[in-house]
Amino acid sequence: MAHVVLKNLIKTYGGYNAVNDVSLTINDGEFVALVGPSGCGKTTTLNLVAGLTSLTSGEILIGERLVNDVDPKNRDIAMVFQNYALYPQKTVYANLAFPLQMRKLPRDEIDRKVKQAAQMLDMTHLLERKPRELSGGQQQRVALGRALVRDPAVFLMDEPLSNLDAKLRVQMRSEIKRFHQDLKATIIYVTHDQLEAVTMADKLAVMSGGNLQQYDSPAKVFANPVNMFVASFIGSPAMSLVPLTASTVDGRAVLAGAEGWTLALSPLNARKVQRATSSKVVLGARHSTIKLTTSAVPGAIPAKAYTVEPTGDVTFVQAMLSGAIVNISVPPDVAVEADQPIWLAFDQDRMHLFDGATELALKAD
Amino acid sequence: MTVASKPAPRATIDLWRWAGRAFLAVMMLFTLLPMVWMLLTSIKSGFAALQFPPQWWPNEPTLASYKKLLDPTSSVGEDFLRFFWNSLFVSTMSTILSVIVAVPAAYAFSRFDFPGRKFLFFSVLLRNMFPAVVFLVPLFILMRFLGLMNTHGSLILTYLTFGLPLAIWLLKGFYDNIPYQLEQAARIDGASRFQAFLLIIMPLSVPGIIATAIYSFIGAWNEYIFAYTFINRNDRLTLPIGIQRFFSESSSDFPGLMAASFMMSVPVVVLFLMLQRYFVRALTEGAVKH
Amino acid sequence: MTIRPTEVPARATARPAGVFRRAWIHRADYLYVLPAIVVMLIVIAYPVYYTIELSFYNTPPSLQLRDKIFVGFDNYAIILGSDVFWQVTLNTFIWTIVSTGCAYILGLGCALCLHRAFPGRAVMRAILIIPWVISAVAAAYIWKWIYHSNFGVIGALLVELGFAGRPPNFIDSVNSVLPSLIVVNVWREFPFAMIMLAAGLQTVPDQLLRAAKVDGAGAWHSFWHVTFPHLRGVSIATILLLAVANFNSFIVTWIMTGGGPANASHIWITHIYEIAFGRQRWGIAAAYSVILFLIVMSLGYFYVRGLGGAEKEGGAS
Ligand SMILES: Nc1ncnc2c1ncn2[C@@H]1O[C@H](COP(=O)(O)OP(=O)(O)OP(=O)(O)O)[C@@H](O)[C@H]1O
Ligand SMILES: [Mg+2]
Repeated sequence: MAHVVLKNLIKTYGGYNAVNDVSLTINDGEFVALVGPSGCGKTTTLNLVAGLTSLTSGEILIGERLVNDVDPKNRDIAMVFQNYALYPQKTVYANLAFPLQMRKLPRDEIDRKVKQAAQMLDMTHLLERKPRELSGGQQQRVALGRALVRDPAVFLMDEPLSNLDAKLRVQMRSEIKRFHQDLKATIIYVTHDQLEAVTMADKLAVMSGGNLQQYDSPAKVFANPVNMFVASFIGSPAMSLVPLTASTVDGRAVLAGAEGWTLALSPLNARKVQRATSSKVVLGARHSTIKLTTSAVPGAIPAKAYTVEPTGDVTFVQAMLSGAIVNISVPPDVAVEADQPIWLAFDQDRMHLFDGATELALKAD
Repeated sequence: MTVASKPAPRATIDLWRWAGRAFLAVMMLFTLLPMVWMLLTSIKSGFAALQFPPQWWPNEPTLASYKKLLDPTSSVGEDFLRFFWNSLFVSTMSTILSVIVAVPAAYAFSRFDFPGRKFLFFSVLLRNMFPAVVFLVPLFILMRFLGLMNTHGSLILTYLTFGLPLAIWLLKGFYDNIPYQLEQAARIDGASRFQAFLLIIMPLSVPGIIATAIYSFIGAWNEYIFAYTFINRNDRLTLPIGIQRFFSESSSDFPGLMAASFMMSVPVVVLFLMLQRYFVRALTEGAVKH
Repeated sequence: MTIRPTEVPARATARPAGVFRRAWIHRADYLYVLPAIVVMLIVIAYPVYYTIELSFYNTPPSLQLRDKIFVGFDNYAIILGSDVFWQVTLNTFIWTIVSTGCAYILGLGCALCLHRAFPGRAVMRAILIIPWVISAVAAAYIWKWIYHSNFGVIGALLVELGFAGRPPNFIDSVNSVLPSLIVVNVWREFPFAMIMLAAGLQTVPDQLLRAAKVDGAGAWHSFWHVTFPHLRGVSIATILLLAVANFNSFIVTWIMTGGGPANASHIWITHIYEIAFGRQRWGIAAAYSVILFLIVMSLGYFYVRGLGGAEKEGGAS
């Protein structure tokens, strides 16, 4: 096991920075999820760590060792690929044995390790099959097993669950988590599914457009997103973001909506708004922090229900505010119908404010 | 619930089906009749072949022509068998060599990103454009200069370059369809780049390699113009030229000529029919990309 | 609501490394293509250079090349001034275009007819492929015998059935020799088109065809609007490969007629061969080759575009 340090990684493809100045430190035994939308450079970052792509600039350390010019095979890493990349012509046994053969281990030791890994992943009965004779989940497990047999310092996983159906994904998710806890392994896990990232990882590295946006524990990323991108990416349903205009009414700081209503701000939020570079401010609120009422309440903003989506546990109501869709969750027994007038109250302590120009979160101090 | 599709009128479907059948029947006749006539002629006597109107079915079928060709003690048989072995040797050698040369090249063109890759790939493809005669005179002089006239080496070297462009093109397509994550996995598992190629990718591309090999073999086996130009010595001739030599001397032995044509075609046809599924697969996966 | 990812200015925008540096980094890659390139250089680059050089010389018949005489563009002038050149050019184009077109259409027809499974399909396909596989020399002899002016089976058949009083000439007549040879060529080549297009047909998604059927398209419409557009890439590749092969095909013509009678079946290739190895006019033959070469190069542009394009199309989808 080892820690991994990425310093100012840059990877350029034909003038375009697929990975743009990414720095992060992954502690020994930590499970870090690299999360972001498609094409944001997650795979590229992982390939850089693996040594499958050459760096344009920057430094990678695994353990204490600078591995910039070290071959993938000598980096002491294992990788699980999105499409599993099992060797189709080899049996499961041979797939698991291959990394050990490449390291010239004695035959009986290979046999022992393969059997051990197979046992751990509960696939002893599959050893003689070819990959194409396996189900998606089984292939996934073999891919995991192939990474496992080597006992590497770092595990790299590139969207290992994205080809599985929803149910299997949930099951494998807990298996991988379990596996991490048992092995105390250092894992870098790429996914574009924020739910997967939040539920599994010790830390999230949120990427977008080749840039690292935020690197912190899931709870902190959830509670304090540094910018609008992270705010809208982490959490489901996504945080509602309403573009508003800052102004003052009777000496009090307020936010004004396009429909003409104003929202008075708490002193803390008022100080945040003062720091905005222009009067354009974006209000962010998660569905559970907005209180919906069907009759007028002081301080609440009038709106109209747009769609109503009962899911059983909760009912999601969408409303249009200032040209943006706002998502609110209400208990299933609250009767709301589409096109019905509603009033929305925002929780001052749990609302997020962003600078409309820079898209960065506004801070009070 | 079933979607009620509007079925095409029955009559039109039948019309198309019957048109297709008729077309296939005509094509089968067009393909087969010349070959049937070859076989029928080859089992006639020389005299029976030269009759008008012809004997549609030989009155006295005889295998004399085949016996003559395959009898190592007769002078015709001795020559024919020697030409046969010459052809086999030249074709096999150039096939092996072209696979050895084409496989790594195709792999590199598919996977690596070195400067000049596109240019080199297209110059290789362009080779197919050049008509053989453009090369004939200079190669004739070159072979004379290298002392390769009248040797099988001259033919092997030349045939190698015929096969290469299509071989490289086909194999490249094949490699393009093998996910590169397989090599990445292999390299992480401890293989060097070359080992990843040799241990993981090579075995996967066997159908492509077989297809390439068939293609080069057939090309070399049937090649005429270079053999005709480079080889004069009777004991070095390959089959296509050898047969021509025989029968330009006795131009009316049509049964013999047909028997020889048949014998010459048997190995490539058998080879192809045995391995055609690989060929079709390579074309589907290689040339015709999804 | 969508939000653009925050644009943080790149701190260090790396310049693309120089070609030579990249070449050096990738030096090991060249080893893979080196053998192919070396072979190609020996057998292609040198001859091309040499042909061009030779085309400016008058050479003695014996190929004693020390005695060659520089004549500038004389060889080219001689060629362009001769009637034969234009006749041969016309022949070459007719030969190439008609052969390619017919082979493609027949091949497409067979591929379509054999697409749906029916008993005996495998056998039929195997039989249809044979003409492409057998030696062109064998094919040429078979057809030469079939076309024989006294004992040929087609002539005899026509007489027996009362269509002709006596066996007609096929390859011994100026008028019919080229079409007769084209038939042979198509016989040999349509299977190639069939294999290629059959492979292409397998990649037409069934879903699309089913969708077309649900939409009420008949056989013709689903062919024209679904199948055929899907075959575009393969068709381009097939037609180009066929055209190139026809342009360069030598054996059938050479063995069956040698270009005769009266040059009526000469195409460039056979004509050049005759000038070089028959009449030993090496310089003229070389100049001919260069002209041919230039034409081929301009076709080659489309060839590379076509194959490269067919490839790109595949890669993108
Ligand atoms: N070999 C390459 N050549 C050129 N551009 C590339 C190459 N590989 C990746 N890119 C570009 O780099 C960017 C990041 O790609 P990457 O594969 O890392 O995305 P990703 O975050 O893994 O996305 P996904 O979730 O879809 O897998 C993309 O815009 C992609 O087009
Ligand atoms: Mg990816």
